[in-house]
Amino acid sequence: MPPAKLVLEDGTVFDGFACAAEGEIYGEVCFNTSLEGYLEVISDPSYAGQIITMTYPQIGNYGVNEDDLQSDELALRGLVVHDMCTTPSNWRSTQSLPDFLKQHNVVAISGIDTRSLTAHLRDCGAQKGVISTIDLDDASLLEKVKKSPSIVGINLAQTVSRTTIDTFDELPKSQEFAVAAPQKPRYNVVAYDCGVKKSILQGLVRCGCALTVVPWNTPAEEVLALDPDGVFLSNGPGDPEPVHETYEQVQKFIGKVPIFGICLGHQMISLACGAQMEKLKFGHRGGNQPVMNLRTHRVEITAQNHGFGLLFDSLGPLIPELSGGFSQHSADLRDWVERSVAPVVQNERFGRIQLTHVNLNDGTAEGIALLDYPVFCVQYHPEASPGPTDAHYLFTAFTRLMDKDPHYLDIDIATDRLSGWVFGSEEGAQNA
Amino acid sequence: MPKRTDIKRILVIGSGPIVIGQACEFDYSGAQACKVLKEDGYEVVLVNSNPATIMTDPELVDRTYVEPITKDFVERIIEKERPDALLPTLGGQTALNTAVELAKAGVLDKYNVEMIGCDLAAIERGEDRKQFNEAMKELGLEVARSGYAYSVDDALNLAQTIGYPLVLRPSFTLGGAGGGIAHTEEELITIVSQGLELSPVSEVLVEESIEGWKEYEMEVMRDSAGNGIIVCSIENLDPMGVHTGDSITVAPAQTLSDVEYQRMRVASLAILEKIGVETGGSNVQFAVNPSDGRLIVIEMNPRVSRSSALASKATGFPIAKAAAKLAVGYTLDEITNDITKATPACFEPSIDYCVVKVPRFAFEKFKGTDTTLSTRMKAVGEIMAIGRTFEESFGKAMRSLENGHYGLGADGKDEFDEERFGELVGLPTEDRIFYIAEAFRRGWSIDQVHLASGIDPWFLTRISDVIAVEQALNGRSLDSLSAEDLFDAKRYGLSDEQIAYLTHSTSKEVRLYRKALGVTPVFKTVDTCAAEFLSETEYHYKTYEKGTREIKPSHKKRVMILGAGPNRIGQGIEFDYCCVHACYALHKEGYETIMVNCNPETVSTDYDTSDRLYFEPLTFEDVMDIVDIEQPDGVIVTLGGQTPLKLAKDLEEAGVHIMGTKPAAIDLAEDRDRFAEVLDELHITYPAAGMASSFEEACQVADRIGFPLLVRPSYVLGGRGMVIAYDSKYLESYMNEAAKITPDHPVYLDRFLEGAIECDVDALCDGEQVYIGAVLEHIEEAGVHSGDSACCTPPFTLSESQVSQLRSITRNLALRLNVEGLINIQFAIKDAVVYVIEANPRASRTVPFVSKATGVPLAKFAARIMAGEKIKDFNLPDDERRQPHYCVKEAVMPFGRFPGSDVILGPEMKSTGEVMGIAYNFPSAYAKTQIAASMELPTQGTVFVSVCDRDKRAIIPLARDLIRMGFTIVSTEGTARALQAAAIPCDVVKRINEPEPNIMTMISQGEIDMMINTPFGQDSRPDGYIFRTMAVRENICYVTTMAGAQAFVSAIETIKNENLPLVALQDLEQWKG
Repeated sequence: MPPAKLVLEDGTVFDGFACAAEGEIYGEVCFNTSLEGYLEVISDPSYAGQIITMTYPQIGNYGVNEDDLQSDELALRGLVVHDMCTTPSNWRSTQSLPDFLKQHNVVAISGIDTRSLTAHLRDCGAQKGVISTIDLDDASLLEKVKKSPSIVGINLAQTVSRTTIDTFDELPKSQEFAVAAPQKPRYNVVAYDCGVKKSILQGLVRCGCALTVVPWNTPAEEVLALDPDGVFLSNGPGDPEPVHETYEQVQKFIGKVPIFGICLGHQMISLACGAQMEKLKFGHRGGNQPVMNLRTHRVEITAQNHGFGLLFDSLGPLIPELSGGFSQHSADLRDWVERSVAPVVQNERFGRIQLTHVNLNDGTAEGIALLDYPVFCVQYHPEASPGPTDAHYLFTAFTRLMDKDPHYLDIDIATDRLSGWVFGSEEGAQNA
Repeated sequence: MPKRTDIKRILVIGSGPIVIGQACEFDYSGAQACKVLKEDGYEVVLVNSNPATIMTDPELVDRTYVEPITKDFVERIIEKERPDALLPTLGGQTALNTAVELAKAGVLDKYNVEMIGCDLAAIERGEDRKQFNEAMKELGLEVARSGYAYSVDDALNLAQTIGYPLVLRPSFTLGGAGGGIAHTEEELITIVSQGLELSPVSEVLVEESIEGWKEYEMEVMRDSAGNGIIVCSIENLDPMGVHTGDSITVAPAQTLSDVEYQRMRVASLAILEKIGVETGGSNVQFAVNPSDGRLIVIEMNPRVSRSSALASKATGFPIAKAAAKLAVGYTLDEITNDITKATPACFEPSIDYCVVKVPRFAFEKFKGTDTTLSTRMKAVGEIMAIGRTFEESFGKAMRSLENGHYGLGADGKDEFDEERFGELVGLPTEDRIFYIAEAFRRGWSIDQVHLASGIDPWFLTRISDVIAVEQALNGRSLDSLSAEDLFDAKRYGLSDEQIAYLTHSTSKEVRLYRKALGVTPVFKTVDTCAAEFLSETEYHYKTYEKGTREIKPSHKKRVMILGAGPNRIGQGIEFDYCCVHACYALHKEGYETIMVNCNPETVSTDYDTSDRLYFEPLTFEDVMDIVDIEQPDGVIVTLGGQTPLKLAKDLEEAGVHIMGTKPAAIDLAEDRDRFAEVLDELHITYPAAGMASSFEEACQVADRIGFPLLVRPSYVLGGRGMVIAYDSKYLESYMNEAAKITPDHPVYLDRFLEGAIECDVDALCDGEQVYIGAVLEHIEEAGVHSGDSACCTPPFTLSESQVSQLRSITRNLALRLNVEGLINIQFAIKDAVVYVIEANPRASRTVPFVSKATGVPLAKFAARIMAGEKIKDFNLPDDERRQPHYCVKEAVMPFGRFPGSDVILGPEMKSTGEVMGIAYNFPSAYAKTQIAASMELPTQGTVFVSVCDRDKRAIIPLARDLIRMGFTIVSTEGTARALQAAAIPCDVVKRINEPEPNIMTMISQGEIDMMINTPFGQDSRPDGYIFRTMAVRENICYVTTMAGAQAFVSAIETIKNENLPLVALQDLEQWKG
């Protein structure tokens, strides 16, 4: 295999091999701890501008099935693995991962001690890096990487959003053996595409949404003219601040139509409420993040992919009578877990806002709900893909919100978790 | 929710003796559970009959009952101790079954004991196939098409509707005992009739075969709030058809896409909820059709299992510890991740390495049994390996097994059955993996091997890559290899030994050359989170990477303790116990302890046990790589059985400081000639002996010392291949069969001291002083391997003078051999003469038993002696003190697992585990051991007596006792004549080869309650063999030695006359104050 190099902006150099397309690419180097689901990860448009390191060492084991892709174009900058599998085995696989990456012109490097790299990113923070199969000179690469643009302050959403208004109703054929058939469309929903994952759209279709998908900056008026039952705000890459053309629309929607947001969508809603964002040191990327639902006190194991997060205290002062008597914000939101309280703030613009979900690993905000308007959102990924599907209930919650159910969020996750799947017993009975 | 305060006293049930399917993983889980319950302030009462466990160490819980785990005993313990709650999910199937019995009998209600962790209904839904299948149906999950048979006819009817092949599973048996796959009607009838008998509810599940499908396990945890997590997914390399305990398994799952994996995850969580597992760990097994992803639930265990021990070691997530906390009311989010100490336990571990588990078998011990692997577990142990890739991990695993291999072949150890080669690439046996590797060497394609074996092409491709890397080295000279070549070989898991074989050099040369080129490993950490969070826990593995190493330098004094490797017959949990004790003792003395072991079932490989844990194979290469990094002040090799002992010499030559008894002393004791000289010098008697490399030479030796002779090959240890020859005819056949006997590998012939009493002495020696741990008197006479013989301390028939003779010989010998640490000496006493049979200057199998019996933890003191302390400073109790209680150890046999093999005891060890009985006289203590070993001692009924001529005299008083106690005796003609001559009433029954009704008719009709059958000599008569196998199958109480029979009869008399006393260890004199 031809040699390749990975150089970080702090000067750390990793030698490896080119295991997909040749080239030289720059991006923010981050890591994802999912054990499987590499295809969903690399096709997630939220990775626009990033070089992904997979912490599981052997990647590509079960090959590629294009039905599992989260977008048609791959938005990531590059891929770092320990070992790339060229001879996969799975009944659904149609080609190997390295072949697929080559086809899509994605640069990838293998033979890297991804554990050392991960620990380095953990300790020193996510940072810019370069993978090159062309230039193997450390100094030259370092110089170039230092000059490369940062993703902070860049509107990456516009680079991955669609440019036309479309309908969406396609469901992947090859997942039918496992995933439940869609419900009849009952709700007209407009989804903003800031780099939406297909599985989110599929999740909405499955729970009965007739979808119109619009570009990231579609004016609210145009959307409202479609008379939707609900508006959905998608995930998307990078820094949320520059995506103001989206969150400015959100401000116009609140109070007019039920809204649900995921990931960047959650940040859009938060920003619409005037909140502040922080950049996390190395982000949350993986399929094992524990999130406590403060309303039900159930823990969801969630899929996550974000490098920025909401500062809950920036939404407004606490309302003590709705926050267990507490009037002081906590730096660590896990305090609310201990207190068994879902605190509520008084927001200048949109009234009472409740903290609904908290990350148990680091006490960051994972979800909020507006109490005076039909709006809720989560930072993590209920569609999973890849990752655990504990939070599937949030799709159901959205339909209940559109049905004007005041208890739309109070759903037993264990029951709902099952409803998204088929286990094939009917088929089995037929075969019997 | 915080912990419950309405319960204060918790009864924990252990898993009893080590048997196949239930090994020391339950000591690991049980000990963890007891520890956390104590830390949380609960009073813990424990019952476990296995003395070789850490959990039964008296300081671990409040009340420790080394008593039989039966409904009756546990009921009495409940009555006495009045616990508030019973935790049954950490002691394997034994604990679960006992809890079910107690609940059903109303005992728990009567004493107001709450079952925590799991309730009766949930256990039954999980274990009862009918209820389980219905529950799965309600969830929309598929199970294999099936039906229940309560008779052979039922099974035949089901076979007509479902079609062959069929999987047969008796309900409620341990580790799938009695199960199997039937391809034909004949097989169906055999397995079903056995299964009906083995199943306590006489029920066998007849099921569609999904042989060849991919097999998965999910380790799941759930708390009382309903939070559920998957700790680990495991994919079996061996496809469906081989019991998961007998399969090579890999974590995490390798060939599932996200959609497949997540569906399995959701199904696992739903199954736990549906079955009603309130809190704790469970494992769920699935089969996946490799061609269309069809998912079938195989089974679930509503308890901590062997797989959960593996999952805990594989991920660093302590399942049993968490399960115990959840059982007392905590929720997952309230428990801190033990490894990171910063994140909650409510998450799903992410790992950044690959784990491979390989089972260890012992078929060589059970001649005549079928060695094909099936749905009935046969493995006696297992090893686990960690590497960054499957290839690396797999290579490590294949050299961890201690089966003579240094990896997956290519080590000069390969032997193939050429005639059956093609068949053996496909047939699941313990050697299949070597045949597959060889098939690739011989040019088979992935498809061909896949077709033959059904193993997923992903694994086969990886293995074929390893073979390609290996073959690229073949024939090259060592000095032609570049650093890159060596680095590649290492990344693909090849050992120095393999590289040496391939390059015609030696492993030491390879090591030197490799180090000179800078090809050295780095050490990484098992941290549950793939480095996402910083972790302080020192749990490491080795890998070849060009990255950073994660070992922090330490300035404390450091001791490295080498563990015992995989459990096998002859080397089990006892040695792990000693290693763990050494860790505890030396840590307490201020040392930093470094543990090296590869057995995932053990307490020693708990990251909590030592200061640093290295999960690595116990080979010279792997140990030295750790030594290079750690630079320990010393290494302990005498506590882990043969495994580390074998390395001692090489380590010493490599400049490693061996602590305690020096390799030279170990050699001296093992070298027969030099040892004989030492005995002569000390005027110690030993049996006459000789050596022969041909039958003629053997005859000369026999002429000199006379028959019977104890014959054994020189190249094996632990009694393998050892026999007693009573005549030259047998000696001739033995010499002819033992093909490996050559002048280099002669056989040893010892005079066999027939009828002698055997004794064992365990002692400590510091070079100046000797402390006698205990004198153990064996129940069975000489000729039965000491590991298979029951024994008692203090001795129950020896005279004071004999005991003091044993002591004085032990003292002299220990000092003469320069022992620093433990020594075990085996004696035989015949006609008032004391013979030394052998001396082993290392920890013996009986150390844990002796420590429990006497209250002196020998292994802890041994470790301290090795670290330079002196016996006189330990303030030990007088070793000649009189002990008011008797402790008996009895061996537990796995014969039920190996149908067809003879159940007779002999010089080759066959037992897998042991139980202990404590009472204030010998018969009571002995009776307890028999009950604990699941021998139901009859108190009335019919005894079948058939003894060899040698024993005809000795049987008379025993028979008289039996009659007096109200038994009826039936005998074969010869024995009957002897009994009738002594005026003992008995019925004559026809032999097996005579027309029915004969003795077999009586046995199969359940008319026999106990059998005394002693074989003579070589036992050429086949009927003895048939009796004994029959007894095993019918679960009839049987004895094969006169001494055993005497102990049995006195035990029966005790049970008839009195209730056996309950003894908590904490009540014994030695633990008080």
